[in-house]
Amino acid sequence: MDGTKVAPGRTAGLYAGAAVLRLAIFTLLPGLANLLTGRVEVSTPVTSFKRQGLFLYNRNVSPYDGGVYHQAPLFLPLFSLLPSFSSFPIFTYLLYIVVDLLSASALWRIADSGEAGSSALFTSPRREKRWSGFGIAALFLFNPFTVATCIGRSTSVFTTCAILHAIAKAVSGAPFGAMVALSFASYLSMYPLLLLPPLILLCYDRQCPERAINSGFRFAATCVATVAGVLAVLFQLSYFITGSWEFLPSTYGVQLTLSDLTPNVGLWWYFFIEMFDSFRSFFLAVFWLHLSSYVGGLTLRIRRQPLVVLTLLLGIFAIFKPYPSISDTSLFLAMVPLYRHVFPLMRYTFVIAAVILYAAFLGPAFYHLWIYAGSGNANFFYAITLVWGLGQSLLVCDLMFAVLRDEWEVERPEMVGKEIRQI
Amino acid sequence: MRQFLSLFWLSFLSLVFFSPSAASAADYHEQLVLRPLPQSALLASFNFRSNTTVSEFEKGNFRFFPRSLGQILQHAGTRELHLRFGLGRWDAESWGARPWDGAREGGTGVELWAWLEADTDEEADRKWLTLTNALSGLFCASLNFIDGTRTTRPVMSFQPEGDHATVSNLHLLYGVLPHEVVCTENLTPFLKLLPCKGKVGIATLLDGHKLFDASWQSMAIDIRPVCPADGECVLQIEQTIDMVLDIERSKRPRGNPIPRPPPGHELPCDTSKPYHSHDTCFPADHTANQDWSLSQIFGKPMKGTCPLTDPTVPPVCIHVPDTRSVFVSEGVRENKSASGASRCFEIPPSADFDMVLPRPSESDPAANQTPDSAIVPPETPLLYAERSFTGHGQERGGVQTILRNPSPDAAVEFIYMESLPWFMRIYLHTMEARVVAGAGGSAHARARPDESSSLIQQVFYRPAVDRARGTQLEVRMRVPPAATVFLTYDFEKSILRYTEYPPDANRGFDVAAAVITILDPDHPGPRSDQGSPAAGAGTSSSSSRGSGGGRRFAAYTLRTTTLLCSLPTPDFSMPYNVIIFTSTAIALAFGGVFNILVRRFVAADEGPEAGLAVLVGRLKGRLLRGAGQAVKGKS
Repeated sequence: MDGTKVAPGRTAGLYAGAAVLRLAIFTLLPGLANLLTGRVEVSTPVTSFKRQGLFLYNRNVSPYDGGVYHQAPLFLPLFSLLPSFSSFPIFTYLLYIVVDLLSASALWRIADSGEAGSSALFTSPRREKRWSGFGIAALFLFNPFTVATCIGRSTSVFTTCAILHAIAKAVSGAPFGAMVALSFASYLSMYPLLLLPPLILLCYDRQCPERAINSGFRFAATCVATVAGVLAVLFQLSYFITGSWEFLPSTYGVQLTLSDLTPNVGLWWYFFIEMFDSFRSFFLAVFWLHLSSYVGGLTLRIRRQPLVVLTLLLGIFAIFKPYPSISDTSLFLAMVPLYRHVFPLMRYTFVIAAVILYAAFLGPAFYHLWIYAGSGNANFFYAITLVWGLGQSLLVCDLMFAVLRDEWEVERPEMVGKEIRQI
Repeated sequence: MRQFLSLFWLSFLSLVFFSPSAASAADYHEQLVLRPLPQSALLASFNFRSNTTVSEFEKGNFRFFPRSLGQILQHAGTRELHLRFGLGRWDAESWGARPWDGAREGGTGVELWAWLEADTDEEADRKWLTLTNALSGLFCASLNFIDGTRTTRPVMSFQPEGDHATVSNLHLLYGVLPHEVVCTENLTPFLKLLPCKGKVGIATLLDGHKLFDASWQSMAIDIRPVCPADGECVLQIEQTIDMVLDIERSKRPRGNPIPRPPPGHELPCDTSKPYHSHDTCFPADHTANQDWSLSQIFGKPMKGTCPLTDPTVPPVCIHVPDTRSVFVSEGVRENKSASGASRCFEIPPSADFDMVLPRPSESDPAANQTPDSAIVPPETPLLYAERSFTGHGQERGGVQTILRNPSPDAAVEFIYMESLPWFMRIYLHTMEARVVAGAGGSAHARARPDESSSLIQQVFYRPAVDRARGTQLEVRMRVPPAATVFLTYDFEKSILRYTEYPPDANRGFDVAAAVITILDPDHPGPRSDQGSPAAGAGTSSSSSRGSGGGRRFAAYTLRTTTLLCSLPTPDFSMPYNVIIFTSTAIALAFGGVFNILVRRFVAADEGPEAGLAVLVGRLKGRLLRGAGQAVKGKS
């Protein structure tokens, strides 16, 4: 079950290397950090690291009585506990670095569990061909998207960390911990709530045999109750912090109604800028319905590998959620290397890599042309977000195809390497 | 008998209604104060004021008070109203202090603030809506566009000028339309409110062509209740028009308005230059101290005086040194004031009045010192302020206000108020004030962040809510003597829905002027006396504010210019394309996922045939069958 044992020295070296890289960028290139904080690709209205909300909170003004702060209230005491950013920025940097390292360690545990290759109900014939936890954590920590998110101090790193810990807890047979972590992620960003069904399945499959609840229905009900309870506690805590329920429309309402149309790498913003007023609510409903429609289908169809469902859903959210950023993509790309064993079954790896690189390089350039140079218009950046979305959806589809083919080849071992088609 | 009765009633009525007017003859007065400014500018301040007692007003007897406006006030429960139409920029560097200490002017566009009587905020909002819509119709201005996003409730900046019995149920609302273009359709209803309707008196000089051609102009309407210590409360309406005319420009004849360079021999040359000769000429600053006449400047002479006006107030005053000669029409009496810097004219009721101010003669000792010594030097304002945008790009920017205190020994305390549109998301944590010593903003800039807290004494901030409320920012500041303070903050520009952009979206959005209210150092709170108006001509003008000037806690008010904020724009021709492209991308992703999820895998050579080959095969089969049947039929 365990992957190759890694010497403790190598682990420490990896974490130290990642931390030193980030710290070096923070301290040697402070301009880059501020630049990334302002980039639309890194920080969206719901994740940006701006001190406005904290400033108001520290002056006893409700940050939610206004349209500038859209994040969860519990961030406010967290950041106000830290020493002031203007005088001791190092503490903020360290917090972000630690969160990144925690995410990496969770990812490491997921990789070492081998869940990607052999789940409770399915064992892939190719599972031997995989990357170690060290390699996967290194891929995550040194992914430029992850580094940029950390340097840009986007608060989505906390969501990433919570989601990865939820999965790590689930694969290590701790359903309660998984549900608490998922509640935190949902509290911070709302959309992780959609990961609940596959996560419950994953927990159910990986329960410890001695404490197992055999009735699936009872297990699911317990999990849902746990999430609801933790969320209720978090909301109550937020209410005590801010003194009113004003934060609900400001944090979750803005994601549901998309009232802030700041450009980002997703597909929503330009669509709703250009949408006719009378159809706005209809299309908001359609977009949310579309986003949540994947959960049921994937969970049912790939029932035997819940971790695959989680990975694919994270990919879909990185494309279709209301305020996506490259941080969501980095989370998806962190999960993809777990499926090293099905990479040979993927059909469009070169196209996908080319399209994602193309969009990653041209996106900032086109944004600059539109906003600063004035020589391009909004369509430039919009077109590149379309390409970015298409590239990622191609990756999602291709990974799904590879995983399903891998499942199918268990039934038809003679078909390995043969040409197939779908009917 | 009937005739007798009606006569009796008539005389009774006249006794009832006209006796108070006989008792207080000063119920209406008007006055024009002219004041030549440096650089060949002329400030003309028109002031019209009328009263009606509150009891008469409540009964609906408006007398000199305009009925149309009075009924609106009654309907909307307005206790005090201030309406401003402004255009242009007051050049404080050369023109000095503003007329009326800035109390009778507004920023570019339209400004309205009023105290409404209401029990709740919602009721005040309803009455405000009524008021803005009614005034919009009355003044032909887009005041009905003052909605929730443009309305603020100032906390520190404005104080009621009138005497109000209770202030607990009064709500102050302030709305501003910086984009509104003030023009002649606003002047006509303004003049209609006057008792003499602009047919006689100083109002005959008001002509849209001249007024809106001015370098700076401001039309103001102020309505407030005034309760003198010894008498009944009156409702006072004061209409003010201030304009700064460029004398050169105003003198251009209407038939030939295009400026042309004068021929060589008419060019005035500065003969003191060493290189001056018959073929070289350094143009003299001939625009200073031009000669002008009232009819040249305003296009027509003044027609008599309004018969309703208070005869004790001279209708026209001019603010020039006594040494200068002023020629006036026949029958006009000149009264020089004791201060030696102004004179007023009493005009016969039905004669045309004209006035000529000749160029000061060469022998005049005053004229030979400096070009501007032939005019009364303007007062130095208490504070200079200018505001501008910093940064580049359409994503974020900054606002910088430079506040300069020219006084060498007195600090200035003031309230800086901005009401910003919601799509400018300001970051309050970036707001800082830094002081640069030296009135001229000298090079040794000392940026001291710790000083920021002592400069900014109090901040009131109400953040914007998207599409519902604008940002309101009021800062109480103190600028030390002979210092320049930079007040800066950053903001982010948000992108709007495409229907929210105006037709000229790339022009940008107007941002209302910042209102700076300088607090009176002697009277930090509301007070009952008043300072001398800057443009007032001696005794008469201070009397114009005397009885009803109202309380002022502000020593001086000034406004910065408006700003033009350009937002990122989408492509307005794209709605269908965007809907189609995005939907296609979503359909591709959804279709791809759905396709893989629901279909079964088979080997390439298994299962039923599919694809183009099947279609072709079917078609072939059908054709062959058809051919076979045809063959069969034949045989």
